[in-house]
Amino acid sequence: MNKLTTFALMTVLATSAFAHSPVDHTTPENGATITEVPPEISFNFANDIRLTRVDMHHQDHPSVRLDLGDQTSFDRVFTLPLEGMGKGTYRIEWRGLGSDGHAMQGEFSFTVE
Amino acid sequence: MPDIWGIAAIFAKLTLYFGVVGSTGLVIILAAFPNLVLPLCRRIKAKAVVLAGLAIFAAVFGFMLRGAALTGGADGMTDPEMLGLLWQTPVGDVLVYRVVGVAILIAGMFIPRFGTWVSLAGGTIALWSFAKIGHVPDLQQTGIRLLLLLHLLGIAFWIGILGPLRNLSRLPEHLDDAALLGHRFGQAAAVIVPVLILAGLLMAWLLLGDLRALLSTGYGQTLLIKLVLVGAILILAAANKLRFVPAMQAGDSKAAQHLARSIEIETAVILVVLAATATLTSVQTLPN
Repeated sequence: MNKLTTFALMTVLATSAFAHSPVDHTTPENGATITEVPPEISFNFANDIRLTRVDMHHQDHPSVRLDLGDQTSFDRVFTLPLEGMGKGTYRIEWRGLGSDGHAMQGEFSFTVE
Repeated sequence: MPDIWGIAAIFAKLTLYFGVVGSTGLVIILAAFPNLVLPLCRRIKAKAVVLAGLAIFAAVFGFMLRGAALTGGADGMTDPEMLGLLWQTPVGDVLVYRVVGVAILIAGMFIPRFGTWVSLAGGTIALWSFAKIGHVPDLQQTGIRLLLLLHLLGIAFWIGILGPLRNLSRLPEHLDDAALLGHRFGQAAAVIVPVLILAGLLMAWLLLGDLRALLSTGYGQTLLIKLVLVGAILILAAANKLRFVPAMQAGDSKAAQHLARSIEIETAVILVVLAATATLTSVQTLPN
């Protein structure tokens, strides 16, 4: 019985698709290849969101938490200054709160050659 | 696959469902069949209080987990900025409904005479919180919210009967009471269960909008698992109503043992149904 319950629970948990990530587009775009490190990155969301945390990952450096500055209210557009780490792939991970109380998360990446 | 905070949120939600629906269900049974469950009255009240305590813990812990989801780390669970942010959203409102409602339910269990009705009001307030936030309330229709409340009250009634009926069936000296309780519940269920299913299907149709989404999306697949399990529960319930309870009414004490066993299996399946629901309401995104 316990095994059956555990199995069923795992099946339920394993079903795909999760998280609400209503990000419309980002600058640079997800998957873009560019020649210079951009001085800033921006997010455009479909609905109002309050960004709560943005982390930048680069293959050659430890991860950095990006400063949200005074962008601490619900909005659709956020622009954050970026610290250049040279060539390579940058992965930006973000988390935020929708005005309906839903926690949201997502990520995008771009490559500097 | 959800991250660690998503999985923790599912378990907190599952505990919350179990606590709120379980305690409210026991109160409904106390109100609906006061004489039949008299031998178990104290035990039922104690269980309701424990389940209600579990519900408060799960509501607060679930709220804190949402803070963790905002920062991606355990620090978010106690981060005043994150919790303050959440407090201003509907998430804060429903926390108040749940804690206040469940606290009223607990208080009612200690009040003589009218206490059960006070508890019932508290339980209904706590159940109403589920109609204040989530995918169904997002449809912004009061009728649908009332439908969800009705659905939840029906489920609470059903879950509420399981413990007392099982315990009464295990007491040979109360075989007649157990048989009568099973019979009365069966009569009520004949009306409530079809309404419960219709309400569930109507909400599913409103949320999915398209039958194909049942197979092609994570939300639909989880809902499908839930529906299949509910089907299994219905088969068990039908066996209880049509076979074991009539046999108990005829004085067959072995049937009472079968009924108790059947209820235990039913409880385990219901737990999985609640887990599927917690997944649907915590981490799954609607198809459209």
